[in-house]
Amino acid sequence: MKRLFQRLPRTVPVLALLAAFGLARGPIEEGLRARLVAANLLVPPPAQSAFEQMRQSVLMATLGGLRPLAATYLSLEAFDHFSTKSWDDLRRSYEIVTSLEPRDETHWVAVVWHLGINATANMEIDGRLPAFERERRFKEYAFQAIDFAERGIAQLPESAAIRLQLVEVYREKLKDDCAASRVYGDTIGLPGAPGFVRRFHGYYMARCPGREKEAYAYLTALYREGKSQRKPTLIKEIQDLEKKLGIPVPQRIPEADPDRPRPNQAPRRSSNVLPGGIVVP
Amino acid sequence: MKERMSTPAVEVSNLTKVFSLGLRKEYVVAVDNLSFRVEAGEVYGLIGPNGSGKSTTMKVVLGLMAASKGSAKVFGLDSGDIRARNEIGFLPENPYFYKHLTGAETLRFYGKLCGMRGAALAKRTAELLKLVDLEGAANRRLGGYSKGMLQRIGLAQALVQHPRLVILDEPTAGVDPIGSRQIRDLILRLRDEGYTVFLCSHLLEQVQEVCDRVGILFRGRMRREGTLDELIAIEGQTTLTLEGASPALLERLRATVAEEGAEVLAEGHPRTSLEQLFIQIAERGGEENQPS
Amino acid sequence: MRPVPLFSPGRVATIASGTVTQLIRMKTFYFLLAFALVVVAAGNFNLPATPAQELSMIKKVSFGTMDLFAWLFAIVATALLIPRDQEDRTLYTILSKPVRRVEYLLGKLGGVLVVVGVSLVAMYAICATMIGVRESLFVAAEVEAMQADGRYSEEDIAGQVGLIRQQGLRPELAIAVLAFFLKAAVVAAVTIFLSTFASSSLFTIIVSILVFLVGHAHTMASSFWLHESGNSAFVRMLVKVVKILIPDFQLFAFSEGVVLGEAVVWPLVWQMGGLTLAYLAVFLLLSLLVFVDKEF
Ligand SMILES: Nc1ncnc2c1ncn2[C@@H]1O[C@H](COP(=O)(O)OP(=O)(O)OP(=O)(O)O)[C@@H](O)[C@H]1O
Ligand SMILES: [Mg+2]
Repeated sequence: MKRLFQRLPRTVPVLALLAAFGLARGPIEEGLRARLVAANLLVPPPAQSAFEQMRQSVLMATLGGLRPLAATYLSLEAFDHFSTKSWDDLRRSYEIVTSLEPRDETHWVAVVWHLGINATANMEIDGRLPAFERERRFKEYAFQAIDFAERGIAQLPESAAIRLQLVEVYREKLKDDCAASRVYGDTIGLPGAPGFVRRFHGYYMARCPGREKEAYAYLTALYREGKSQRKPTLIKEIQDLEKKLGIPVPQRIPEADPDRPRPNQAPRRSSNVLPGGIVVP
Repeated sequence: MKERMSTPAVEVSNLTKVFSLGLRKEYVVAVDNLSFRVEAGEVYGLIGPNGSGKSTTMKVVLGLMAASKGSAKVFGLDSGDIRARNEIGFLPENPYFYKHLTGAETLRFYGKLCGMRGAALAKRTAELLKLVDLEGAANRRLGGYSKGMLQRIGLAQALVQHPRLVILDEPTAGVDPIGSRQIRDLILRLRDEGYTVFLCSHLLEQVQEVCDRVGILFRGRMRREGTLDELIAIEGQTTLTLEGASPALLERLRATVAEEGAEVLAEGHPRTSLEQLFIQIAERGGEENQPS
Repeated sequence: MRPVPLFSPGRVATIASGTVTQLIRMKTFYFLLAFALVVVAAGNFNLPATPAQELSMIKKVSFGTMDLFAWLFAIVATALLIPRDQEDRTLYTILSKPVRRVEYLLGKLGGVLVVVGVSLVAMYAICATMIGVRESLFVAAEVEAMQADGRYSEEDIAGQVGLIRQQGLRPELAIAVLAFFLKAAVVAAVTIFLSTFASSSLFTIIVSILVFLVGHAHTMASSFWLHESGNSAFVRMLVKVVKILIPDFQLFAFSEGVVLGEAVVWPLVWQMGGLTLAYLAVFLLLSLLVFVDKEF
């Protein structure tokens, strides 16, 4: 108090300078913020709804500039929910995580994998629930996974990884070959997209009712690209289509060996094995 | 008497320093219309009881505090002037330096602050460590120094840039008799080397021993000032100092004194002490200065 | 009268290096050990996640902790130094030498920043080692697994390795460290300003942390309160005043984008550097306004 009194006259210039600086930097900072957000370097504050769901500690950390730590903490917690099979808690955790760090691809991939693959698999075997309920929840989780994937793709339009995770839900869980083909098609050409997506786009198109002709044209075009595309599966798929569509023999591809044992379907892992051979409990 | 140079080392004129306490209108007048000069080359002592405003005066002279009224000049420069400070070496009361530095590092730190570098600084550091007799402890951290050692390293620190004026606030506070004797000898040496010394203390014997001139401060005001001889001389009293006087001669003198109606007050030590004077002033000041 | 330079970088450097020595001898660098522990712990998370996910997580935990340590250290170190000099009266002896008060403030700030900078470089080295080691282990394991499988082309393997590398040790990560440094510098300048008129270190630390928190929240606060009609004029006023008085620390979170692997936009980095300098200049000026005729 004593100190304050002595310096009372000083507070006027100090406040004036502080205010002048505040007013001057306001527009500059707004401009910088807009450009940083446009460059994806800065994440705009999460929606109010995300805040409302946060617990106090997470909220504090988030406000204190510790957003990445808060997000990591919540995603660790989500792994915990995963191990106890609390799928709804897991979804809620990821709602916050993805709104804290919408541009982190790994969160979107993880939540699509958890809900679309793990939760649905759990519904297929969970003996505690009646069959009807299991089936209903199976669909619910699959659709929640698709919803997350679509939101993730909206945030990261270039992401191959989210699409590859999404495609597994369509392919393995919903058996929707048309959707699988569409998502593979969307993935073609994205940075980091593996080479097989072009072939898989065709394979699943071939299984999509009504698109066989289109698939035949697409796959033969790939075949003509050269040796690198002529995988056993490609040949097998073309041959199946040739038969189905009744293509005249002279126009068929030369590798005619219908009794050739059907090879594994290229890079495809069972759903509880991750790249790197990590097996999920 | 010393030769008086045209610019005094310190010139304090009509200095008043008021501290306000809190938001209620309460004030402490620490220094009240104080004027004095410290001439170049002399040792000047400001003495006064606790709270009489000695440290406050020194801080104003150093520019650590602003005067409420009046001014303080050092070698003709305003006390806030950085050039003035280059000519001052200051030892605060109960000095405290960076505990984590060694004695030698402390001197180098302060030397660098005064713009000294390289060999000149190294030489000066060694010289000062020798002067204050801390060569043995040069590489020990100050955290482990005793009070007397701190006081001495503080004195060395004050001298590092060869200042012309040395300001010492209670240089012997908390130092044992032998230590304070060393410090006193150092001060005398400084005077002989041409430094001006401005010190304050409430330890009177020491002031008495080293100071050329003394000012007595009480409740922020200068009560008496002058050379030691002037101050201590008692008006209306005369001292005769005889050598080889026989008891008979003394007897005759006493008789003559009695005849004249005068009185022999004391024999032996003829002077009052500074201490007595000091107490007298304090008592008188206390009566006239009851808080209003 | 001997000449004395009006402003001497040498004196600033002396005070700065004194501050660095002080912080080193106060053993503050031990916090790097704590940091190394966090990074090692993060590096050994055993999660059912893909290598890319795991690397991303290690990266976020270690960089998040680095950020936290940097600004917290900047606040605590700065808040401890000046009040301590004052309490110990070391300030008397320094300011009674031919030292300007602006030089003292600059030296203290400079010293803290050197220590923060060196610590950040050290923390970055720790992180980089951990991430680099994990990355090469992951890549080796992945390549081995894919080759053993036999069904993957070189192209497939390269794609997978690319995915991992993208989350691994990239030179741009250094820009995130730079962002932490800029933020810590602004925080230190604000703390110096507060410590010039606060009477205790504890008070300075608490207020600085509050300012720091509010400095992150006010963009959110303004989006919630300024654009909603339901709030009273008073609340809106308050938000505006806070926005004007308190630095916007949220801008410095561009490090988050960099850590996630977004492309660095250099002009924006320079602009943030410029903004930081402006903050430093203004807060030093403010500190000086208070400090210049402060009495001790
Ligand atoms: N910063 C301050 N704020 C308020 N009052 C102060 C301040 N500094 C000194 N005073 C007051 O001014 C008066 C003079 O203090 P000063 O320290 O100058 O005395 P001193 O003569 O040095 O005493 P001592 O012999 O005890 O050192 C005292 O009453 C003290 O309480
Ligand atoms: Mg005193």
